[in-house]
Order: sequence, then C-alpha cells, then structure tokens
Amino acid sequence: MPILEIKNAELSIDNKKILKGLSLSVNEGETHAIMGPNGSGKSTLSYMLAGRDGYELDNGSITFDNIDLTLLSPDERSNLGLFLAFQYPVELPGVSSTNFLREIFNSRKKYLGENELSHLDFIKYLRKVAENLSIKDEMLKRYVNFGFSGGEKKRFEILQMALLNPKISVLDETDSGLDVDALKIVSEGVNNLKDKKNAVVVITHYQRLLDYIKPDIVHIMSDGKIIKSGDADLALYVEKNGYSEILNEKS
Amino acid sequence: MKKARNDQFFSNLEKFVNKVYPNQPQRQPYLSLKSWPSPRDEAWKFSRLGKLARKNILPLNLENQQDFSINKLIKDSISLVFVNGKFEKKLSDKLLSEIVIEEVQIEDFKDIIKKFDNLSVKNHPTLNSTLSCSQKFFKIKFKNDIKFYKPIEIFNLGGSENTSIHPFIFIDLEKNADAQVFQHYSTYAGLLAPFEIINLSENSNLEIIKIYDDKINSHNLSLTLSVIKEEANLRSFALIKGGEFTRSEMHTLLEGEYSNADINGIYLSSGNQHHDLTSCVYHNVPNCKSSQIVKGVLGEESTAVFQGKVRVEKLAQKTEAKQMSRAIMLSDKAVSNSKPELEIYADDVICGHGATVGELDEDQIFYLSSRGISKQKSKVILIDAFLNEMISLSISDKFHDIIYNETKTKINKLLANEYE
Ligand SMILES: Nc1ncnc2c1ncn2[C@@H]1O[C@H](COP(=O)(O)OP(=O)(O)OP(=O)(O)O)[C@@H](O)[C@H]1O
Ligand SMILES: [Mg+2]
Repeated sequence: MPILEIKNAELSIDNKKILKGLSLSVNEGETHAIMGPNGSGKSTLSYMLAGRDGYELDNGSITFDNIDLTLLSPDERSNLGLFLAFQYPVELPGVSSTNFLREIFNSRKKYLGENELSHLDFIKYLRKVAENLSIKDEMLKRYVNFGFSGGEKKRFEILQMALLNPKISVLDETDSGLDVDALKIVSEGVNNLKDKKNAVVVITHYQRLLDYIKPDIVHIMSDGKIIKSGDADLALYVEKNGYSEILNEKS
Repeated sequence: MKKARNDQFFSNLEKFVNKVYPNQPQRQPYLSLKSWPSPRDEAWKFSRLGKLARKNILPLNLENQQDFSINKLIKDSISLVFVNGKFEKKLSDKLLSEIVIEEVQIEDFKDIIKKFDNLSVKNHPTLNSTLSCSQKFFKIKFKNDIKFYKPIEIFNLGGSENTSIHPFIFIDLEKNADAQVFQHYSTYAGLLAPFEIINLSENSNLEIIKIYDDKINSHNLSLTLSVIKEEANLRSFALIKGGEFTRSEMHTLLEGEYSNADINGIYLSSGNQHHDLTSCVYHNVPNCKSSQIVKGVLGEESTAVFQGKVRVEKLAQKTEAKQMSRAIMLSDKAVSNSKPELEIYADDVICGHGATVGELDEDQIFYLSSRGISKQKSKVILIDAFLNEMISLSISDKFHDIIYNETKTKINKLLANEYE
C-alpha cells in the first residue's frame, strides 16, 4: 500500500515552473533513491512535501496515508509522520539543542497519544540515541546547528529523525559533507530505524551512500520530472556513465 | 475644556513650588525650564511629548490614602516603597546596619549634576521638575567594603490621571562596596518623573535592574545620572514593557581609569505604546570599557527608539566602547528607530556599533515547523532565544530566570494579539 503518492505535481517559484508533472509512489517498507543533475528540482520536491511557504502545488496531488497533504501545515505534516532531513540545516542561535530536541520529541509523543518523558528520562534516552550516532554530549549543549561543522549538522538531522520515528523520511543529500566513517555511522543509523511499516527516500548524487542504504527503487530526475526508474543497478549505471545517455534517450 | 498650552505644566509647577516651598531658594534654579521639549529638539525628535503637553498636569501633593501591596521578585530582598513619589517607611522593610537611608539636600549632590554640562541633561523635564518639587531627597548609602548580597527592591507606586509624581533617589556606593538594586516602576496613571543619581566610588560594583511596567495610561520620563570612579563597575539593565510612553534616559560618566559601564536593555512594545532607551556614555579617562546593547520586540502599532551616544575625550585613550541594537518587528505597522552617535576625539580606541531591524527569520520558522512545532510556538521559541542571549549577557545568572519570566507574559501577549 502506498504511504506516499504524488501525482503529476506541478509547482512554480516566482512564476518559474520548477516541477513539471512529477509522479512518485512509495510503499510501506520501501527505500527509494532519487538522483539527478543539479537544479533538476530535488530539493524543491522535498520542500513541497514538507509544506514550505511558497511551495504550493499549481496542479496535481499529494496524499500521505490517504490524507490530502496539501491541506496541512508543516507542523501537521511532521506530526503525521513525515520527516525531512534538510540539505542545508538552519542555524538557531540562542536555542539550546537539548531543549529543542526535547520539545520536538514530546510534541510528537503527545500527537501519538503516548506519554511524554520527564526531563531526566529524556536526557537518558537522548544520550543513548546520540551515542549510536557518535554525537558527543558537548554538541548537545550548543545552540541548534550553530557553529556545527557540515558533518555535525547532517548527523544532527538524523538524530532528530531517530527521536521522531517518522513513517516516511526524505533525506536531502544527507551524505554530502560526511567523511567515510560518519557516512557509515549515519547510514547504519538510518538502517536501524527502517522497518516494514515505514519508508525512506534518499536524495543523493553518489552511489557510495547507496552501498550502505540499499534502495529498492532508483529514480532519475531531470528538469522537474522523474524520467526513469529502475532497480539499484540504475544508480551504478549513473555512477559509471553519468546522466547524458539517459537524458538523450528521453529527448 | 480648553486645551492646555505647552507651558501649562511648568506654570502649574512654579505656582506649586512657590506655594509649598516658599523658603527654599535652592529649588528656584530648576524652575527655569518653561515648556516641554519640542520635536525640533534633537534629543526628543523620535519621542514626541505633544500628547503630554496638551494635558493640564498638576504636581501631586496628596498624602497616600490607599492601600498598596508589593510583589517582590526576590524572596529575601529588602524593599523600599515610594508611593506618589514619597518614601513610605511603613510599607518598606527595615534596613540592615550596613546600609543607610538618609534625607539629603540639593546641595549634597549638586556637584554631581554639574558634571553633566550639556543641554539634554540641563533641559531635561525630569531633572527640572523633580528637583524643584520633590518633597524629600533620599540617599541610600552602601558603606565602605560592604558586600551586600541581599538585593534592594525599590517600588514606585501610585499616580493618577493628570497629575505628576516625582521620586528621587541617590544611590551612593562607598569604596569597595557591592550592591544589587531593582527599580520597579509600576504606577497607575499620569506622569512619573523619577530622577536617580548613582555614585560609584573606587572599586565598587553596582548591578541595577529597572523594570518599567507602568499601567497603560502612564508617561514615564526616567532620568539617571551616574558617575563611576576608578575600577568601579556599573551593570545597568532596563526592561521596558509598560506605560503609554516610557523613556529611560541614562547619562553615564566614566571618571576613573579601568572602570566599566554596561547600559543594556530590552523593550517589548505592543498596542500604541512608545518606548525609548536613550543612553549617553562619556569616556573622560583612559582604559575604560562600556557597552550599550539593546534588543526590542515590537508588535501592533507600537513605536520604539534607541538613541545611543558614546563620547570619547581626547585624553581617553585605550577606550573600548561597544554599541548594538537589534529589533524584531512582529507587525508592519510598528516602527523602530535607532540613532547611534559616536563622538570620538581620542585615536587609540576600539568602537563597535551596529543596528539591525527585521522580522523573524522565515527559514528558522520553517525549520522548527517542519519538526512538528506550530508556527506560533516557533515564534515564541525564536523570540525567547533572541531575548535569552541578551539576558545572559547583561545580568547575573541568579537573576536570569526572574527577568526571563518578566518578559514571558508580555511576549505571549504580543504573539496572541498578532493571531487575533
Ligand atoms: N527561491 C527560488 N527562486 C528562484 N528559483 C529557485 C528558487 N529555489 C530554487 N530555484 C530554482 O529551482 C531549480 C531547482 O532547484 P533545487 O534546489 O530543487 O535543485 P536540486 O535538484 O536540489 O539541486 P542540487 O542537486 O544542486 O541540490 C533550480 O533551477 C533553482 O535555481
Ligand atoms: Mg538540492
């Protein structure tokens, strides 16, 4: 059963069409990868899903668990179980990381009708989750993303994903900026969260991430559309030959 | 009723003083100001007194007949209560022997006032009205070497429509004394003209926190003159959230080497409020530091102004003076003005200044919302962060939560109104 169903999505920014009839269907338990040249609209797709202001559809539809997503605000989408790991996480000077994580953790718990954790229990739980992602205590004492290195920011995104336990996660170039060891740790983190009920969509330029997070389906996106889909071998093909042949094939 | 003229209050004042204090010639020099400053006056350009000038205000000479209760912020503090500008011993706590409260005469602090030889001080309506008509002048003295760890909380209460009240306090720290003072401005209505003099002797430390929370019909024209001697340290923080019109004006003279002054503040403005933080720091000697850092949040149709001036005399080499203002606008009808002024006559000086005005960052709001936090809650988090940075920087850790809570209700109100 599809968790996420995008049909013929068209979207423009400043009167410029960016998504030009994009369709994508993701089932429970699946892992999808989206690849494609710079500027093809991958991040735009992720913002559209998360419900950013100005990223409303011109045409088409998005349903998530059979709910019309386009009617919901970003926080409602998150509460339903949609998570976006940002390509460029936003710095929040003055907002303590620990408080922020507790706030988002408890608001999700509340939404799910589960018990919120006390401050102490949360700290214990947070330590454990952070440790699995090799995130040091010291980092949690700092302001959210403020002065974090590129790699630290990406790990912090996955930490949030682990705390929120979403049904579908869209990871926008989470691998960029990670060193080889961090790539492994982060990928394992994502794999540990994966089960038969949830789904992951990874946006990436590189096969090396897909060595760890094995996709069931690989999509190639170009000029605001998905132009080809295939199995994991499609990513290997792109890695070896680039996009030109696939793009030519299309035109 | 006929509208009052621009000099109405000042002629009322003159009649009042001549009737009540006929044999006190020392008050006469302060009756020379005859009218309210006009908007052509540079110091009052952004804070216009027209509305006040049109009122027929009379100095208040009533004995206190109402009951007043106070809310201390700090459990073990010592309270000093002024009702309608008059010290109320009955309502105040007993002082300990380390500090003394005594009545003084204008003669006893005239020399301090003379050090501020400029028109914005000399022609200030508060200086003139309060020195001419305040019933008594009180001084709190912290004796030599006193490390006073119980904060003093001064409460300014009372007030009524079309009357003025004139509290005066002289805070005097002798050598090596340490003190912490809270000033609460919580009057009911009318004009409040509090005049405060601060004298910090060698190596003394004063932390003073002023909370301007007068009711919505009040005009508050607070004026503070501070003189700081060698190695002394003034940490001043103003939180402005009340009143119809509140101006906190501070003139700070660094007179001894290796002394320091932080004149920081936060204003939170809603409705039609006008808030004004005006500060002038005079670096007269070498090797001193100062900061004037102000942050504000403005909603609805409120207006605010930060005027920060630093004057560094030729002699005052190795001065470090920092100045910064930041305002967050929650409404496009609110207006924030910032007027930094640097007058520097020395050459070996580090001066930094900057001013920004803007809305809350859309990217930050989206990031928080994408984690399941509502838009309104996201704004609360971001404003808290904005103010928290300022509070941590400006005041002692032990008062941090108290002041933070004082901002909380006002912020919630500002955001609630935005969503109506
Ligand atoms: N705010 C904006 N205003 C105008 N054009 C925009 C805006 N945001 C994105 N675009 C344009 O939309 C197109 C798609 O951008 P998007 O960021 O989605 O690409 P991408 O596939 O994620 O690229 P990359 O691989 O470099 O991350 C680009 O041409 C970009 O310039
Ligand atoms: Mg992108």
